[in-house]
Amino acid sequence: MRKFLLPILLMVFFIVESIFVELMPPKVFGNEYILVPHFLMIAIILLTVYGPKNYGVLYGFLFGLLFDIVYTEIMGIYLCLFPLVAYICYKLMKILQTNIVMVTFISIVGVALLELGAYEMNVLINRTDMTFVSYSMDRLIPTLTLNLIFIILTVYPFKRHYEKLALSLDA
Amino acid sequence: MPQFFLNKRLIILLVSIIILVALIGFSLSGRSKLSWPEQFIKDTTGWVQTAVSRPTHYVANFFENLKDLQNTYTENKELKSRLDELARLESEVQKLKKDNAELQEILDIKDSLSAFEPKQATVIGRNPDKWTELLIINKGTNDGIEKNMPVITANGLIGKVKSSQSFTSTVQLLSSMDPTNRISAEIQAGGESIFGFIEGYDDEKGLLMMKRIPSDAKVKKGQTVISSGKGGVFPKGLLIGKVVEVAPAEYGLTQTAYIEPGANFDDIEHVMVAKRGSIQPELEDMIDDKEEEL
Repeated sequence: MRKFLLPILLMVFFIVESIFVELMPPKVFGNEYILVPHFLMIAIILLTVYGPKNYGVLYGFLFGLLFDIVYTEIMGIYLCLFPLVAYICYKLMKILQTNIVMVTFISIVGVALLELGAYEMNVLINRTDMTFVSYSMDRLIPTLTLNLIFIILTVYPFKRHYEKLALSLDA
Repeated sequence: MPQFFLNKRLIILLVSIIILVALIGFSLSGRSKLSWPEQFIKDTTGWVQTAVSRPTHYVANFFENLKDLQNTYTENKELKSRLDELARLESEVQKLKKDNAELQEILDIKDSLSAFEPKQATVIGRNPDKWTELLIINKGTNDGIEKNMPVITANGLIGKVKSSQSFTSTVQLLSSMDPTNRISAEIQAGGESIFGFIEGYDDEKGLLMMKRIPSDAKVKKGQTVISSGKGGVFPKGLLIGKVVEVAPAEYGLTQTAYIEPGANFDDIEHVMVAKRGSIQPELEDMIDDKEEEL
């Protein structure tokens, strides 16, 4: 049972992202900000930090593929970005200490990397004509704010859950 | 030994970059159908999405209904004032419909460009990364939905089917930027119509762009834009929106009209897929019999 808990948890976040976008009102505080949830990415980053070794990159790869097939229909963008961001965060955590503030900071850096990577990819394949200035004002900053709130709310429950998981795998 | 690991990493990096470029190229190559593993994965996740999204929508609708109740009194007043007008319009429509049917009978027209059969579907997912605006709906090829069919809501056209699997389909909204997203449309200007193409979406203004309008056409603010049915896939007469602004295009040879879409692209729950009434000739009719005899 414990074995399936992690995939189910990540699957829930995978679907919650889509429902969040569906139900989100288009105008927040009177402005047309583009708010993009990256809950799945955050769950994967925290998995690399607290969970068993290599799990983050592996699940990043699997859910990146799923994300590309189901949502974007362009295979490759998130398939590459999810594991890459997870790997970078894994390396960063080796240098830095693992207190909860630092982890929050690393996670938001990871989300920013993912957002910027996706923006660059979409500019490259000509799927957007947003300039970088309007991108950062309308999309990047609101998105990071939203995800920062999510990280602050969930970092502690994630920590407890993942550490339990790592322990149960060691035993 | 460290040298070896370095090389191994480098090789992995290079191979993954090659795979990445190949995959993106493969996805963008304009394939007519998704490969079967993709279809299978999309259908499977579709089941899970349906199971999760239905209850959440019920909850969300409940709160929305509560919100609506607050405005009931003022809305009721306004609606009552419109009711009188409606009765007059209805009788007029009846008369026109009858006229139209009679005239069509005289001219012996059987099919028209505007005939279509709507198929109801519910949205079960939406692309969370908002670069390409895609919706996932709960009807697929089993219900007769095919690629490129137009998708409408009660308020107007919202997009077309991008791909369809057995039980789910993906809808590409008009607001997503894709050079292949092009719809033949017409502006209803008094008695005549002005033709053009809906191409692209202005993200900052939130308006659709209708391009290639002849430069001598007089387009005015507030005119209605509908699909023209000349593209071969979309039926005629689907409402798209209203003209807000007209500007000359880059080289001054054509005009671009900015159109406020009739449907709200952010809040979509129930959609209809409009299957065009068959007026396209069957393949067998197109083959000339005489040639076969030779």
